[in-house]
Amino acid sequence: MYLYLPVALTSINILIPICLGLGVGLLSGLFGVGGGFLMTPLLIMFGIPSTVAAATDSNQIVAASVSGTYAHWKVGNVDFKMGLYLLAGGFIGGLVGVELIKILRAMGDAGFVIKITYVLMLGSVGIYMFIESLQSMKKKKTEKVDEEKDSKVVRFLKSLPLQTRFEKSGVTHSALVPVALGGFVGVLAAIMGVGGGFLMVPVMFYILRMPMHVIVGTSLFQILFTCIEVTFLQSYTNHTVDFILAILLLVGSTVGAQIGATFGRKMKGDQLKIILASIVLVVTAKIVLELTLAPSLLLSQAGGH
Amino acid sequence: MKFFVCFQALFISVPFFFVNTASAKLTAKANHDRITVDFFYHGSTVSVKGVSDPNKDLIIKITSDEGQQALREKGKLGGLLWMNVGELKIDHVPNIYFLHSTKDIEDILSRDEINKHVIGYPALKNHVAMNASDEAEKDKWFNEFIKYKEFSKLYGTTTGQISLTEGKGTQNYYILTQWPYQAPPGNYTVTVYAVKDRKVVETATSNVVVEQVGVVKELANIAKNNAAEYGFISIFAALSAGFGVAMIFRKNGGAH
Repeated sequence: MYLYLPVALTSINILIPICLGLGVGLLSGLFGVGGGFLMTPLLIMFGIPSTVAAATDSNQIVAASVSGTYAHWKVGNVDFKMGLYLLAGGFIGGLVGVELIKILRAMGDAGFVIKITYVLMLGSVGIYMFIESLQSMKKKKTEKVDEEKDSKVVRFLKSLPLQTRFEKSGVTHSALVPVALGGFVGVLAAIMGVGGGFLMVPVMFYILRMPMHVIVGTSLFQILFTCIEVTFLQSYTNHTVDFILAILLLVGSTVGAQIGATFGRKMKGDQLKIILASIVLVVTAKIVLELTLAPSLLLSQAGGH
Repeated sequence: MKFFVCFQALFISVPFFFVNTASAKLTAKANHDRITVDFFYHGSTVSVKGVSDPNKDLIIKITSDEGQQALREKGKLGGLLWMNVGELKIDHVPNIYFLHSTKDIEDILSRDEINKHVIGYPALKNHVAMNASDEAEKDKWFNEFIKYKEFSKLYGTTTGQISLTEGKGTQNYYILTQWPYQAPPGNYTVTVYAVKDRKVVETATSNVVVEQVGVVKELANIAKNNAAEYGFISIFAALSAGFGVAMIFRKNGGAH
């Protein structure tokens, strides 16, 4: 059955957004990522204008992330304190990132810088995560995590002022650390035009040393607020949120997020990491192919990221 | 629900009137003058039929009003990466352009007449204004524009699809065309040209109106005119749906 989308001005088979929502929602509940880096290109592929795809996806992520956050919160896997610090940093970083884009655009090759940043970030995060997870899966029982190895970083982090305990995550950090890291991810997310979940997850794991299951819940909590802000701004300034498309997507994504959260609890942290790393690497490969292979059409709709 | 009431089967017939602007011989009638876009709209059909003088060729052109089209141009950056390299702006160009003729346009019309009535892609290329540096650039990007439009199902041409039957000293013609759901709401002009001796000898025109109705129209209006409310509604609906599904799963034992 087809439904007409009043803002996208196109008609779509309702099974398409529901299934897309289910798939991306599953990833969201499983890994704590919003899934915008997958959903937006998929929607464009099915004929949704790029501006509407990006804006509507944010609206859909609000539903998926609230659903996922709730599921994770019920089993004690959301560190609200850490989430709020990261959020504060992300908000500031987002503002800085938007200004940076303006400067890049004024200089000329903004698109080139954005694409290259995107590929490099996705690629390096994916490769690092993949190799690290593989190694830790191999030696999981025989060796304890070698904490002394990164004593320099740990010592530096410990030397920072405003040390505070994050009970849920079982870690102690300076309040400045999550704010700064949130800010860094916020800048990159704004430049790349994505939510930044796939960057935030590794940051929380490798730098903040949070347990993988708490990371997923906390990341979703943070994404929820980011996407509420983006949805409102997109509706208000660009009029590009398609409510009907969002409803169809969220029918799938809210259910998918719940299934993902349930599956996630049954999986080990390393297993989650290696699957997420594989998805990130596949997406990177797809972008590299898009950049290097001649497109069938040399024109596309103006707007979007 | 309201949108179920708004349901209309595709291919419904609505009377459609043509105004004959030249000789009285050319008449035309179609099955749509108002295409309503509701929740279940997935395109429609428009048929055009009428009577003309025998031994005349016919051209039917369906277009939207002319305006500016802005599209992103892709090109190779540094000879290696395909990126957006600029913006193509075309003025005096319709968003929709469908052309149907009984024979090849070049075989039945002179070059001057083709350009005068903007019939066919080459004439359209001469008619539009583009931000291209030279003629070769204009050729390249106009061809890409046509490819993009045909891919989007907003431009199309056919030859020999108009069926002709003999009447009593007249000629009856008929064509059934698909109306794409990608065509946005708006007013469209259907022009029928009767052609003889490589000249347009008669024309007839009419309008087809495509408009959103019911909830689709309401939502589009709110999104445009009450953007803040629309934003809040979208967020509230997403939050409610997310919580709602989470509660259902909780009750079913998904989370504890």
